[in-house]
Amino acid sequence: MSAWHRLMWSLRMARRELVAGELTVLALALFVAVTAMTSVAFFSDRIERALTRQATQLLAADLVLNADAPWPEAFRAGAVARGLELAESASFPSMVMAGDAATLATLKAVSERYPLRGALTVQAGGAEKSAGAPAPGTAWLDARLMAKLGVKQGDAVEVGQRRLTVAGQIVREPDATLDLYSFVPRLLLNHADLASTGLVQEGSRIRWRLMVAGEAAAVADYRREASARLPRGARVENVEEARPEVRTALERARRFLGLTAMLTVALSAAAVALAVRRYLARHWQSVAVLRCLGLTSREVGALFTGLFALLALAAGALGTVAGFGAQALLLTLAAGWLGADALPAPGPLPWAMGPLSALLLLGGLALPPLSTVRRIPAVAVLRVELPARRVGWLTPLAAVFVLLTLTAYLVGETVAALWILAALAGFLAAVGLVALAAVLLLRRLPLAGRVGWRYGVANLARRPALAMIQVVALSVGLMALLTLTVVRADLIGAWRASVPADAPNKFVINIQPEQRDTVADLFALDGRRAPELAPMVRARLVAINGRPVRPAAYRDERARRLAEREFNLSWRDSLPEGNRVTAGRFWAGQGAKPQFSVEEGLAGTLGIRMGDTLSFDIAGSVYKARVTSLREVPWDSFRVNFFVLAPPDWFSRQPASYITSFRLPADEEAFASRMVERLPNLTVIDVGVILDEVRGVVERLAQAVEAMFVLALAAGVLVLWAALTATRDERLFDVALLRALGASRRQLKSVLLAELACLGGLAGLLAGLGAMALGSVAALQLFKLPFFANPWLPLLGLALGTVVVALAGWPLLRKVARTAPMTVLRRE
Amino acid sequence: MLHPLEETSILSACELAKQVHLNGEALTILKSASLTLTDGESVAIVGASGSGKSTLLSLLAGLDRPSGGEVWLLGEPLSTLSEDARARLRRDRVGFVFQNFQLMPQLTALENVMLPLELSGHPKPEAAARAMLERVGLGQRLRHYPKHLSGGEQQRVALARAFVIRPRLLFADEPTGNLDAATGRQIIDLLFQLNAEEGTALVLVTHDTELAGRCDAIYRLVDGRLVGARP
Repeated sequence: MSAWHRLMWSLRMARRELVAGELTVLALALFVAVTAMTSVAFFSDRIERALTRQATQLLAADLVLNADAPWPEAFRAGAVARGLELAESASFPSMVMAGDAATLATLKAVSERYPLRGALTVQAGGAEKSAGAPAPGTAWLDARLMAKLGVKQGDAVEVGQRRLTVAGQIVREPDATLDLYSFVPRLLLNHADLASTGLVQEGSRIRWRLMVAGEAAAVADYRREASARLPRGARVENVEEARPEVRTALERARRFLGLTAMLTVALSAAAVALAVRRYLARHWQSVAVLRCLGLTSREVGALFTGLFALLALAAGALGTVAGFGAQALLLTLAAGWLGADALPAPGPLPWAMGPLSALLLLGGLALPPLSTVRRIPAVAVLRVELPARRVGWLTPLAAVFVLLTLTAYLVGETVAALWILAALAGFLAAVGLVALAAVLLLRRLPLAGRVGWRYGVANLARRPALAMIQVVALSVGLMALLTLTVVRADLIGAWRASVPADAPNKFVINIQPEQRDTVADLFALDGRRAPELAPMVRARLVAINGRPVRPAAYRDERARRLAEREFNLSWRDSLPEGNRVTAGRFWAGQGAKPQFSVEEGLAGTLGIRMGDTLSFDIAGSVYKARVTSLREVPWDSFRVNFFVLAPPDWFSRQPASYITSFRLPADEEAFASRMVERLPNLTVIDVGVILDEVRGVVERLAQAVEAMFVLALAAGVLVLWAALTATRDERLFDVALLRALGASRRQLKSVLLAELACLGGLAGLLAGLGAMALGSVAALQLFKLPFFANPWLPLLGLALGTVVVALAGWPLLRKVARTAPMTVLRRE
Repeated sequence: MLHPLEETSILSACELAKQVHLNGEALTILKSASLTLTDGESVAIVGASGSGKSTLLSLLAGLDRPSGGEVWLLGEPLSTLSEDARARLRRDRVGFVFQNFQLMPQLTALENVMLPLELSGHPKPEAAARAMLERVGLGQRLRHYPKHLSGGEQQRVALARAFVIRPRLLFADEPTGNLDAATGRQIIDLLFQLNAEEGTALVLVTHDTELAGRCDAIYRLVDGRLVGARP
């Protein structure tokens, strides 16, 4: 046959096979795998872009340069020359006065085009609107400042030597978190009024910011050039530090998506493997006939290779389109926050990847068994030649591994991929062993009881290898169902609970030691439970293992800044709630000797290891001790947390202030005001807005992730289906034989039911245990959520397995009752 | 290369032997079987169940290799050909009819008959297959799958598939074995009718002596040897 002729024939055969339903499971499994992979690829791609966009909104620009002196003209010219938009701001703390009232506030002078990204929302004249810089001679004040000064719109305030008219109230300021003292009341004025305040003097603590925005390539170019020529005391703003809580939520979401996608791919691979096995087993005789009719082994190989390649390409192409659609759906679910509609279209990579991964999956899984099919002799038409059972397993494993790694890479989770692979491999091995042991045990049991039960169990025990494969396949499918329903609900529940509804929304700082009792009394008077007050001293890290810490020595910008700035050190006698020790041991109780406990992430950034000796300078005295534990800190819990902790009674004589957090319902704001009235030096910080935003992000992402789970669920159902149809062929023959030997329909029914129930029960029990283990591993290793195990899973698995497998066998029973036994026997 | 003895033969077997090894013991199925078949001729091979009839057929058609002796099929000595070369030799020249029909379950009746035509690169496989199915009386069953056809109908499809390429030689292995007596007679009538119309040579393996009597020659397989000759 010519190559063209062969191709056309393969095409025709593929169509015929599809019409006859021979390729349904295989095609669906491929389709689901590709849909899952590409939707995650598309989604990841776009979520990354959305993240960047979100980040730029927090900066109010694409790039922000920050310095302690006004920016030289050359930096402005550089931006203008590249066609970039330019805005400037200068922020500093200063007193603001109105009549007799005066208070400390953060002043920010902004130029005309501010903000370049995101929106500044102000309330003026009773309505909220988007605004830019206030007009010269006017100012926007936030609610706290207006309350403290007792002013309203139209009143005048004094800033240095300048009088400004209050033009409105700041509702939302995109880049407020960039300022160190963002929780201090804020005032926005026009950049043009800055000089006339007379506050710009030598030594004033002004942060001068240069903001640029524009085309990504031009911004990157400008960033490179500017970074190379940064003046002393200047830096490029890093937005990731501004919002660690949002970052945590997004990383969890990506892990959920990654886990789901990998699970889907692994399950689809299992379904594909089962379907290929069944497909080729069913075509054993057909191949013999083809050989008889004059087809050479090469032509047989070419036929099936061509057929599978066509199938892979078709399923791959459709799957990619479906993946794009699924991704669009995911984005719609997450849209409110991500602003998906304005996102650029995803790159070309995911489009090409769909069909390629389908080829890889099917190629890896189908080629080894295909090579045995090629060797089927023509004489197999006359006598039943047993198929060669030895099929290479290296190629399929390699293909699945490559695919999972690819998926992991797409979601940026290579470590997670290894965990999933290890968990799956472990599960398969364990289930296989247990199933084999159980089947062998069944064979040894003295079988009593009714005919149905006896024959059913004997049927299962007669072919231990086949029974093992069936139990493994069924339990993989059932485990997927359990994991994706029960465990998923638990996991997502735990995730949502990580930002609890009662998370603190107020922080109180600057409490003096002698005010602690007063604060406690204030809470008690109001009928509230007094929150824990945590001591806090300012300290500078001066040496690690006796070597002086020099910020400039760190290559990482974040590390440099951390080394530069002052730390808040705290002491306490027990591990803070929600923290988890990842290395070493946390001290217990009073009287522990001097030592430090360091947050894991900080330790990694600054290169601090367990056992290192740290030296901190607190108000001129150096405190030196070893690091005896590393901690993981749940930053998204919104509780008071510290990077570095020490035991009590060590540097507690140093000047300390206290900090606390608590939850205050919106309608009880008055309590915070009463507290500040009584103790005017206290600062109450409202994190309610951030909290709401994080909770909103988690909520929307959880929805997107749940949508993704549907795909994985489909893959699980497919595995189950493939496993059941594969076992059906075997059973059909057994049952027909019994029927031919005169078994009544009733007896047949009980034989089948006994066998199926046994199979399903065993598979379900193992699946339940597997799902429990998988859920725990996922919670601990991937999501850093507290451990939990649902004790109902094994029982649920047992019941589910028995019912599902028995139900699935029902149509088979009806079919057997309708078909003449001879037809079945003859066809075998 | 042609058989040295019989220039016109399209099939000849010389001293065929077949041994198989079962659980380490050698089991002799054929000892010395010889036969010759000329163009258009029909022979029957009869013998008791288990006498090795099907084995002999598989050797004659080149589906399997003998332990000894030689088969010349369409002028080629099979021992010199690989399995693939033997397959190419059979293509569009040799037809088969089996006891258990051996239709492809995933193809319709029409597609089953089209198959050998497609393999040989026939320009209009569908029209030819359709015409052939009409000849065997299944013009109304073209789109049916084998599982929706009766045994007799399935064997008709098998006959259509065998004759559609106008083979020079047809091997039939117990073609009525799975059919009731009346249906079996109809199938045999059809087989001989097509055989006569197409001038095909026929090797018929059967245990039915009445059926065998319709052939030009009868060979009996006894104790691994072929006995008997043309009447």
